[in-house]
Amino acid sequence: MAIGRPLSRVEARDKVTGAARYTADTRLPGMVYAALMSSAVSAGRVRAIDTARAEAAPGVLAVITHLNRPQWHSTPAALRYVETRFPLADEHIHHHGQYLAVVVAGTREQAAHAAGLVAVDYETRPAVPTLDAALPDAHQPVWRFEPEFPTLLALGDPEARLAAADVRLDLEYRTPYNSHAPMEPNATLAHWDGGSLTVHETSQQVHLDRPVIAGALGLPPDRVRVVSTLVGGAFGNKTAVWAHTLLAAVAARQVGRPVQLVVTRKQVFTCHGHQPPIIQRLRVGANRDGTLQAITHHTVNGTPVLFDRPEAAISPTGTVYALRSVGVRVEVAGMHMPAPATMRTPGDGPGMFAVGSALDEMAYALELDPIELRRRNHLAVHPLLGRPWSGKQLLECYDVGAERFGWERRAPRPRMMRDGADWVGFGMSSAQRLEHHAAARAAVEIRDDGSAEVRTAAPEIGTGNLTTLTQIAADGTGIAPSQVDIRSGDTTLPESAPTSGSRTTGSTGTAVHLAALRARQAAARLAVADPRSPLHGLPAERVGAARGRLYDVDVPRRGETYRDLLRRNGRRSIVEQGFHDPAGADPRFAYATFGAHFTEVRIDDTLRRVRVTRHVGVFAVGRVLNPKTARNQAQGGIIYALGGALMEDLATDPVTGRFIAPALTDYHVPVNADVGDIDVSFVEEPDYNAHPLGAKGLGEVVAVGVHASIANAVYHAIGIRVRDLPITPDKLLRP
Amino acid sequence: MDTFEYKRPGTVREALRLIATHPDAEIIAGGTDLVTLLRDRVRTPARLVDINGLPLDGLRWSRDGVRIGALCRNAVDDPRLAAAYPVLVRALRSGASPQIRNRATFGGNLLQGVRCPYFRLPEFACGRREPGTGCAAIEGDGRLLGIFGTSAACIAVHPSDCAVALLALDATVVVEGARGTRRIPVGDLHRLPGDTPHVEHALRDGELVVAVEVPASPFAARSTYVKFRERASYAFALASAAVAVHSERGVVRDARVCLGGVAPKPWRAHTAESALRGRRLDAAAIEAAAEAATAGAAPRPDNAYKVELVRGVVRRALTELLVK
Ligand SMILES: Cc1cc2nc3c(=O)[nH]c(=O)nc-3n(C[C@H](O)[C@H](O)[C@H](O)COP(=O)(O)OP(=O)(O)OC[C@H]3O[C@@H](n4cnc5c(N)ncnc54)[C@H](O)[C@@H]3O)c2cc1C
Ligand code: SF4
Repeated sequence: MAIGRPLSRVEARDKVTGAARYTADTRLPGMVYAALMSSAVSAGRVRAIDTARAEAAPGVLAVITHLNRPQWHSTPAALRYVETRFPLADEHIHHHGQYLAVVVAGTREQAAHAAGLVAVDYETRPAVPTLDAALPDAHQPVWRFEPEFPTLLALGDPEARLAAADVRLDLEYRTPYNSHAPMEPNATLAHWDGGSLTVHETSQQVHLDRPVIAGALGLPPDRVRVVSTLVGGAFGNKTAVWAHTLLAAVAARQVGRPVQLVVTRKQVFTCHGHQPPIIQRLRVGANRDGTLQAITHHTVNGTPVLFDRPEAAISPTGTVYALRSVGVRVEVAGMHMPAPATMRTPGDGPGMFAVGSALDEMAYALELDPIELRRRNHLAVHPLLGRPWSGKQLLECYDVGAERFGWERRAPRPRMMRDGADWVGFGMSSAQRLEHHAAARAAVEIRDDGSAEVRTAAPEIGTGNLTTLTQIAADGTGIAPSQVDIRSGDTTLPESAPTSGSRTTGSTGTAVHLAALRARQAAARLAVADPRSPLHGLPAERVGAARGRLYDVDVPRRGETYRDLLRRNGRRSIVEQGFHDPAGADPRFAYATFGAHFTEVRIDDTLRRVRVTRHVGVFAVGRVLNPKTARNQAQGGIIYALGGALMEDLATDPVTGRFIAPALTDYHVPVNADVGDIDVSFVEEPDYNAHPLGAKGLGEVVAVGVHASIANAVYHAIGIRVRDLPITPDKLLRP
Repeated sequence: MDTFEYKRPGTVREALRLIATHPDAEIIAGGTDLVTLLRDRVRTPARLVDINGLPLDGLRWSRDGVRIGALCRNAVDDPRLAAAYPVLVRALRSGASPQIRNRATFGGNLLQGVRCPYFRLPEFACGRREPGTGCAAIEGDGRLLGIFGTSAACIAVHPSDCAVALLALDATVVVEGARGTRRIPVGDLHRLPGDTPHVEHALRDGELVVAVEVPASPFAARSTYVKFRERASYAFALASAAVAVHSERGVVRDARVCLGGVAPKPWRAHTAESALRGRRLDAAAIEAAAEAATAGAAPRPDNAYKVELVRGVVRRALTELLVK
């Protein structure tokens, strides 16, 4: 079996030797370069734009602005573009950094230089710079995420239940702008061949990009090919088509040469997505016996002035703990902000920070152990769907985590654990993420040299899916993983689920699994029908496969290799398709992944900075395909959320709303020295109700609840409850 | 980035001529700061004079102390330096990352640009970058900005760790220009902004830093540097303290308490030094010095936390000296 083994990533060697090719490494003959010029104001209008100096600069081939751009052939409203206007739409400016021109030149430096020579005469209007300033505009979003999460919900009678509860809390939590901060900047290489366009793009979802690009350019989708092989980090900022892609494509058409456009680091931070600021108000009521009575959760998040984009921070509220009454309300408030983008753990990340913190506050109010409070309100049934959860080993996660962490050493009250100069605090939170599905297709080919190839579009964004999909195909066909190749990241391949929303394992993995099984069955049918095969005449179901060989499961000695079978039959290969039907899971159950986080923080009493010295994460994600990549994902997810909890803040200027830390120097993510010991384990029980492989998504649940676990540990250490992230030293001052 | 002319002189004289003969010339040493300033169009020189070919590297020891060449890298790893001036080596090690320290030079470190976000983003008004344009930070986000020595025109802090240590060591900057050699005490190198924030330092047009001289002193060996920042490494100081103490028969004869990350220049906390002089270095004296170090602080609401941090870094640094 390949599944369950800690195989190293199939692309690991290429990555560490530098042989791996990313989008911006791709070169084409005659390729030229484009650079984007960004607005210096946050709101207003381009009164005039002078491109004469840019056009006259060395090497410049074209300068495109809203005045001379080609027509867009569709409207983004109908497409999954990231905004409601295509780039260079008109003279109006709705956010800082908005792209106002694209310059094409012979070298990257020439393009950047000329972009700086584009002179704009701005008419500046006052901006709505902050969420606080936008609050008067708070309104119900037009766009909603129903039915997955309700935007407005009242279950039971939350007001009455709150009023009757023994203990009531009314709390406000805040999260700031966060950046995806991927190492690899967004990049495009666009080239035309007659009326057909190929776009090499840093994308998590080539098939979803294709209709957007085709629609904007007025092409039939089959005239557009999108290629995205290796992605150097994305976290969701590559789940949409952005301006640079369309601008590279029109620039390439205009100059008649392939055009590469790599956005600058500053532009990654500014115009390629973020998680917007969110204010969450929670009211929780519980009785003295520790039973939760009611919760209301009202969120407001910043949204661009042109459209409503709610953040689903209420997603955990109604489904995590047993509650008699729930009320949620989601609002948005317009700000002059660049477009946000889905960010790893959308909704659940900030939502669980609030819910997980509020539960902790309630535990202290009731003088209950935080785990005990959660146990007493454990929920076996999805309350909105009325179906039992499948694979909810959350109670086991608490047990295993508490044991590995040493939770029993926790002092019952804050400010009771001290080690020399350090305050020590323990915190915990649970984790939950609904299991999402998408349709997915894959092909598996068994070749006459005994090897196999998997073909499915899912790009590798660093999560390890090339490896796990290879393992799935290896077990499905009975061919060693070292003999299985994989091709991915190309619209010429079968359409996978997008590499986002933790859907690769469940959805794309199932498609690969089915394709591999079908390829093996096709080979078995060929063998049993072939009089020259040692398996001739057997029922096909009696044929097993292992180590590249088909055999009789009752008489394993009897059999032959795929290679012999195919060659003898003059077949180059056998190819079969697999399809994952998103409605395929057993409808009697509700699906999610679960986990528990435990954090130890230390805070020097004199110089108060939170250090996460130990973190234990235990997860129930069904079957673990590859313990090595799974552990790596879990550790990465925890570190990612640790950054959000302690330091990440895309700070804004309070007057203009412009981001003032658009660089990795200033936008702090954790460095190695910030990361303590991270212990990851799994309560592993295959969830065959969810998927035939029994494996579910992993990439996000591992990060959900970390913020709360850390904030709770900080409170336990020094008795300061920080409800606005990140927990920076200025919030921990001595009283 | 804009285009510029690139020159790489082989002698100090030639370098001085290349700087003097062009009104828009800029020196580049390690380039770790200047290149980002060029890329972001904060600086737009017409001529770059690359001084890496000049013989300004290395340490020269004498009875009077050490002379550190302007091109000596921040990664300098010299056991004698570490023993004689612990505060300096600790300050250097606390800065940037190993890769950057391998490139960054002493001269460049002292003359690096401020990290005020508004200074680094030309979309904002900044009188330090462009004289007379005002200061976006005043109405803006000042969490990282100064609490000492600021003015109505500029509230930026000087980011160098090394400069704070050099101030505590009474170091001198040696500069050369057309009119010969000058020696500037480190404490006089950076200018307080007043109403001319663009006048950042005491170098005259056409002058080049050639070395830093650190004297032998009775307190250099008993010195340390404590830097407090938002993450464990690879971040500028929110506040830092370079301290040095010379005691005789258990009584402090002289002391240096210098602060980083809180003022437009490395900041000498004279009152804290006085609070130590003539006393035994004990917990009470340390507490008094930590409190005195905040004298004259003029924070804004968004950076008032730095006052407490100043107490914290001074307390911690002096406490480290207790065990020495
Ligand atoms: C990500 C990052 C993190 C950093 N973190 C820290 C930190 O924590 N602490 C810290 O102290 N510093 C930090 N720095 C700053 C770093 O120390 C400086 O960039 C570096 O010391 C500058 O040296 P350089 O030789 O590269 O200077 P350059 O970039 O070459 O030059 C900087 C300036 O000095 C001038 N200059 C250089 N040499 C001379 C000379 N001999 N005479 C006259 N003028 C000269 C140049 O004209 C230019 O204006 C950081 C920098 C980066 C990029
Ligand atoms: S504080 Fe100083 S450096 Fe910052 S914007 Fe104001 S003038 Fe410029």
